Amino acid sequence: MNEDSFFSNDWMETQRKYWESWIAMNRKAMGLEGGSQTAPWESALEHWWSAVSPAAPAASKQFMERMMEQGKSFFKMAETFLPTAGGGGDGWSAFSKALEDMQKGFMGGLGGSGDDKNAMHRMLAFWELPLDNWQRMTSSMSPMFPGDFLRNMPHDGMQDQVDRLLSAPGLGYTREEQGAYQDLIRRSIDYQKALQEYSAFYSKLGVKAVERMRAYMQDLISSGKTIDSARAIYDDWVNCCEAVYAEEVSTPAYAQLHGKLINSQMALKARMSEMVDGQLGALNMPTRTEIRTLQDRLQETRRENKKLSHGLKVLQAQVQALASGQPLAPGARVKTHNVPRAALIAGPADSKAAAPKKPAAKPTTK
Amino acid sequence: MIPIDIRPDKLTQEMLDYTRKLGKGMENLLNADKIDTGVSPKQAVYKEDKLVLYRYDTPAGVTPRPVPLLVIYALVNRPYMTDIQEDRSTIKGLLATGQDVYLIDWGYPDGADRCLTLDDYLNGYVDRCVDFICESHGLDQINILGICQGGVFSLMYTSMHQDKVKNLVTMVTPVDFQTPGNLLSSWVQAMDIDLAVDTMGNVPGELLNWTFLSLKPFALAGQKYVNMVDVLEDADKVKNFLRMEKWIFDSPDQAGETFRQFSKDFYQKNGLINGGVVIGDYEIDLKNLTCPLLNVFALQDHLVPPAASQAMKALVGSTDYTENPFPGGHIGIYVSGKAQKEVTPSIGKWLNDRS
Repeated sequence: MNEDSFFSNDWMETQRKYWESWIAMNRKAMGLEGGSQTAPWESALEHWWSAVSPAAPAASKQFMERMMEQGKSFFKMAETFLPTAGGGGDGWSAFSKALEDMQKGFMGGLGGSGDDKNAMHRMLAFWELPLDNWQRMTSSMSPMFPGDFLRNMPHDGMQDQVDRLLSAPGLGYTREEQGAYQDLIRRSIDYQKALQEYSAFYSKLGVKAVERMRAYMQDLISSGKTIDSARAIYDDWVNCCEAVYAEEVSTPAYAQLHGKLINSQMALKARMSEMVDGQLGALNMPTRTEIRTLQDRLQETRRENKKLSHGLKVLQAQVQALASGQPLAPGARVKTHNVPRAALIAGPADSKAAAPKKPAAKPTTK
Repeated sequence: MIPIDIRPDKLTQEMLDYTRKLGKGMENLLNADKIDTGVSPKQAVYKEDKLVLYRYDTPAGVTPRPVPLLVIYALVNRPYMTDIQEDRSTIKGLLATGQDVYLIDWGYPDGADRCLTLDDYLNGYVDRCVDFICESHGLDQINILGICQGGVFSLMYTSMHQDKVKNLVTMVTPVDFQTPGNLLSSWVQAMDIDLAVDTMGNVPGELLNWTFLSLKPFALAGQKYVNMVDVLEDADKVKNFLRMEKWIFDSPDQAGETFRQFSKDFYQKNGLINGGVVIGDYEIDLKNLTCPLLNVFALQDHLVPPAASQAMKALVGSTDYTENPFPGGHIGIYVSGKAQKEVTPSIGKWLNDRS
């Protein structure tokens, strides 16, 4: 079966059958006038995706999954705020409860230990985005550690033991090596702390965003307007989150947090690189430090070479002009009046040495 | 009363629509041809290391102006943004006004390019491209158009080599890197740039992507894909979306030494305002810049706020200084329909009046 026929036949048929049965089931459960039970919207969407995705072409799958993730987010939002979600009572109580539940979820990420610390990550997938972006970025930069391997590593409970371990002086023949490993662990912990502070910052932002959403809803009530679709409530939620985020990340405190996260990660990577270099040296293989030294020297040589080549070209042009008694042609004029004195002594600062000998290709369409 | 009035049956219908669009979208995604990058015909006329200098073909029926225009793009992202699709092309618009357009493609630096400095880029690559074009056309001066970071490059280049630049156009170019609300600048302040560059060598494009996404993470990494579902049924719009998506994530690594100097001198020290930027043997002073100058900026730019660009006016030595504010964003100034009608023709006219 080729992919075209898959789309024109099986794919659409699978969807149609799935939705027919799902809608029938749902209507039966809720009644056409609106049900009294919480609708499993998010899981329904997931169910749909799990039914059709195995047959989906690999080329599109990843892209579609990203949209599925966001789709689940906004149907989850709608589910959370459905007037019937509170299990009865007046609408405002249900609505307030939904906001409080969201807030509790975020606050769960601020304190406690173990699972509580990861509460934020279990909350709306939406709030995973900034951290997810960081994780993807660190993954792409650290093939040794897929994902961010320190993100969930507990450290508070073992802090005392770690401090004692790290303060013990290295001894004997491997003293330097012991010191390097101690430093590696110290930097790992620094990075871990920075990452968890960064995560906690987003938890606090989540709490503030919920507050902003509550205020926005109050404004809607005052103005007599309503939200009547999952998409609209999702867009409003995005706007609240972006507004709170923009305020918080423009503060000097956030700049420090951001700097600490990057600096601690770089410090860790730097130590790891040094240790890898040490191992490579022991195996009599070229190290990164050596390669960088070569790169620096090579680039310096290339600079000098280009200056010399250009200097030669300048001299040739001047000799030619002198010999012919003609001034230099426009465009071939070699600038010397604006060249810094130091550059004139060392040779012209610019070079045309690498220019091709042929003139610019003339476009055929002219 | 609560302000949410979503009925379960309506929600069911909304979800049905969502998945129907996804289903149709998957078909369009699969059928989308390879994403092309850059649509206008061009010829490679000069190469050096990874740099390629292109010259665009002049459209039939258009007589090119005598003074060619060199476009200097940023090192961040790729220059095909200026020629992203047939009906959204700054290059095409410039060609239509009679500009003889050249463009520098910096390529993708690798580890061997780590020690390229701003001096290598400006007094090396850019200067040799300018000399090449001057020689090819038998001219002493050409026009330059610098874009974003490329605009900063073009300002510095002109301040060092004013005698080679007839007219200068800058687009969404920061001069004051520490205006209020400049998030990028705020975030860089506490970064140990030396440690980062010494550790990584070149700065990975992924790190830059993360930084740019972090400016509006919920809209750029979440909501955008929900919005995408709405256009999935239109094959052309899917292709346009994918083209933009490719451009956004097509981020070359940054040569370490250039990143070091650019981040420290501009983002941390605000060197064009406070002075102290040294490129090779030159100390940069925008007062040396005396040619006619057109400063084009975007009023809703979240990367280069208008005030960051407008600071240019007080610093340059030019007596022929013009500002052209555009009601759009940092990318919209190249790809929006309005930009095609307003921005590019006005740049062409401004150049034609002076060349």
